[in-house]
Amino acid sequence: MNDRTTTAPPELAVRDVTVRFAGLTALDGVSFTVAPGSVHALIGPNGAGKSTCFNVLSGLCRPAAGTVTLGGTELTRLAPHRIAALGVARTFQNIVTTQGTVADNLMLGRHALTRAGFTASALRLPGARREQREHLARAREIAELTGLGAHFDAPVGLLPYGDRKRVELARALCLEPRVLLLDEPVAGMNAAERARTAEVVGELRAELGLSVVLVEHDMGLVMRLADEVTVLDFGRPIAHGTPDEVRRDPEVLRAYLGTDATGEDAA
Amino acid sequence: MTDLLDSLLGGLALGAVYALVALGFVVIFKASGVLNFAHGSLLLFGGYLVAVLHDDLGFAGALALAVLATAALAGALDRFLLQRGGQDAHSAHVQTIVTIGIDIVLLTELARRIGGDLLTLGDPWGDAVTELGPLTVADSRLAAIAVSAVVIAGVFALFRFTSWGLSLRAAAEDMEAAALMGVRLGRVRAGAWCLAGALAALAAVFLAAFPAPGLERTTGQIALNAFPAAILGGLASPTGALAGSLVIGLTEALVVGYQSELHVLGEGFGDVAPYAVMLLVLLVRPNGLFGAKGAARV
Amino acid sequence: MSDRTALLTRRRATLLTVAVLLCLPPFYLDAFWLRIGLFSLAAAIGATGLALLSGTAGQLSLGHAFFLAVGAYGYTWLAGDPGPGLPTALAVPLAVLMAGLAGGLFSPVAGRVKGIYLGIATLALVFLGHHVLLTAESVTGGFNGRSVPPLSLGGFTFDAGDELTVLGVPFGAEERLWFLGLALFAVTWFTARGLLRSRPGRALAALRDSETAAAVMGVDVARHRSAAFVVSSMYAGLAGVLLALAFRRVVPDYFSLVLSVDYLAMIVIGGLGSVAGATAGAVFVTALPLLMTRYADQLPLVAAPGSAEGAVGPTEAARYLYGAAIVLVLLYAPDGLHGLARRSRDRLRRRRSPTSDPASAVPSPSPPAAAARPKEHTL
Repeated sequence: MNDRTTTAPPELAVRDVTVRFAGLTALDGVSFTVAPGSVHALIGPNGAGKSTCFNVLSGLCRPAAGTVTLGGTELTRLAPHRIAALGVARTFQNIVTTQGTVADNLMLGRHALTRAGFTASALRLPGARREQREHLARAREIAELTGLGAHFDAPVGLLPYGDRKRVELARALCLEPRVLLLDEPVAGMNAAERARTAEVVGELRAELGLSVVLVEHDMGLVMRLADEVTVLDFGRPIAHGTPDEVRRDPEVLRAYLGTDATGEDAA
Repeated sequence: MTDLLDSLLGGLALGAVYALVALGFVVIFKASGVLNFAHGSLLLFGGYLVAVLHDDLGFAGALALAVLATAALAGALDRFLLQRGGQDAHSAHVQTIVTIGIDIVLLTELARRIGGDLLTLGDPWGDAVTELGPLTVADSRLAAIAVSAVVIAGVFALFRFTSWGLSLRAAAEDMEAAALMGVRLGRVRAGAWCLAGALAALAAVFLAAFPAPGLERTTGQIALNAFPAAILGGLASPTGALAGSLVIGLTEALVVGYQSELHVLGEGFGDVAPYAVMLLVLLVRPNGLFGAKGAARV
Repeated sequence: MSDRTALLTRRRATLLTVAVLLCLPPFYLDAFWLRIGLFSLAAAIGATGLALLSGTAGQLSLGHAFFLAVGAYGYTWLAGDPGPGLPTALAVPLAVLMAGLAGGLFSPVAGRVKGIYLGIATLALVFLGHHVLLTAESVTGGFNGRSVPPLSLGGFTFDAGDELTVLGVPFGAEERLWFLGLALFAVTWFTARGLLRSRPGRALAALRDSETAAAVMGVDVARHRSAAFVVSSMYAGLAGVLLALAFRRVVPDYFSLVLSVDYLAMIVIGGLGSVAGATAGAVFVTALPLLMTRYADQLPLVAAPGSAEGAVGPTEAARYLYGAAIVLVLLYAPDGLHGLARRSRDRLRRRRSPTSDPASAVPSPSPPAAAARPKEHTL
């Protein structure tokens, strides 16, 4: 069912992307490349344009200039649902789950991988029912993988914060993504929840071999997980390199001066 | 030629009245994010008050009282019912449906009181007409144009020069930010609803005046024609609502004026022409003619 | 696994019991009650369609009366003269398809205009539709409408024509139509619940809760909005056919904005987004005025129909009640509805224990704790 993850994910290349909102330049000539199977962190102070960058990657925001390519496919002109169908999944900074149970949310993640339409579903045709059964089984596996197995049939609204945040992660994984965009996956979590999520992301990468783009304020997590780091400030890339290189970069220190480097204050 | 001028002038008068209604609709939307489906029955409420009070108070007194009472009713509905639902976008959607419930109650009560009657409002223009060159124009239409122009100018001045207007614009931009900057959303909203109620009551007078036969239980429904006007204008723009109202008023008047040439569309098409225009516009521009956000908001 | 089998057996038993109970009324109740039941069944079918559109997909429609009219008039024209005079059994599905087609033609608007704004756009359907019903006399019969040919299925006609006695009870039009209504309602229940619990239903609910989340999960937003509109129109069309058969005459003035608002009232009162809720709301809104008319002389404050001018008649009394019900349900029991375009963020804001008092269910205007979490500009 998830044959597309058995091959190595294609390279995600962002080239000179510029985004303007009503005269404000939110992203200014941003370029970086996410090597297949790597974890690439995007860091920077609040307002640096990290989420805007994610919105460009997932098709929610069209750049004024620049390109984003996944393998040979240009993403910037595609509608969000087409990008999702190519295997790019994301989570949001603020939890955006839908009503219903964990299972309902995870099955939404299977949307692009399933076919059942209005007619087949309304008439409960055997094909549609079989498809639902099969994909429900896979959704359950992913719930186990992310530590949500016990809550599979629980309403999302009743789960604690950390679990709901993980529902989003699991839902994104249900897309069987080749590229996973994580927007502050541990924001607002306590230390134990953070550790658990970090562990899950690490396992995922090892087991599924997918590429991860990570936006995160928690520097500990970034240093632990990331292979490469791109630092944005006021929409401009100011540094790039391995976590160690970036940590010593004077530009980066200057950008973070006056703000708390770990971002803990905001949480 | 005189037919055309006649239609244009009639359309201008109608558009001016629609503008009063549409402007109220837009002000409410800007301040609270609510689409007020009870607008028609607020208008009917104002008209009904003028109809029952003008014998005792005279037209001017009745109108003044009706405008104040409708403003108070609209403000109270917002303050005591809608505002209980909160200020965010989701609440605004729920409150929109609440206005439909309010409309059911208000309209049922007014329709019951009015029954099958045609109420006269005792307006000073009656069926008098004025000769303007080749045209014979009903005084009530001239009054509608003149009064609307003055009132609308006043409303735009309110937007521009008062702190309430400033707060209203801030709230429309970003409610959360406005609240953080000290804008008292509750007051801005209540003010907007009062203003909209007052405008609706005023519009009722002209909708019921000559050449219309009087105030009927269905007069509120005519006011619904201002919805397309507001949609055309993009919902959040008073200027757009003004332009939309003129488009709708002129279309309606021209369709009625050229009824015989347009008989394929059927008798009485003028009444529904505003909706045909709205559909055509929405097909091409889902956000309205002048709307940058409007329908796209949420 | 045996748990599940037991559950399934129990569910089947319940379903069977309900089905048997619903078959009993024609043998015990007179035509008045059967008519209330029949209108309620028709309304429940239509309301289910609106619940899918407004409750599940979060798209407000005030155009439901138009699609009811397409179904009712479509059947009448297809099966009648003037008209192609098709076999009535064929005219029913074709009329439903016609309603779906009408919904599809509106999809350029229905797919792109979202939430409450669609409510205004759909006003156009009601007014333009009403105008067409009045004007296209050769098809619709104009102001006086048309009489509806009774449905005939394999030699069995759903009218009072030939005498029929079942178990000692004479079966007139109402008795026969009751079973037709029941069958159509069963189809509605089966299909609508199938939809809601599968891929399209989840996609629609996601659209309502967060358009962006739905889109990045692979849901084609415009296509699903349009499809929801078409499906909702088809249920309305089916309800229209049943109503036409029950009324035996279709007239334009029935299919007015008031009817659209009635349907909206049904789904709001019943709790948006569920088939059971829509059904409950449909029974409430349909039966209330009829019951009040019947028992007007026994009710305080309600005058008998046709009594003194200006008195509160049963129809008015019913409208006050359900108008007020809409306001009260929405303001004091917002969790009873699944929310138009509710964002899941709101749930975070209103997070509370299930036992807390109703007052706290009202979203608090003060910035909730969630807003204090790390936040950058989000689109």
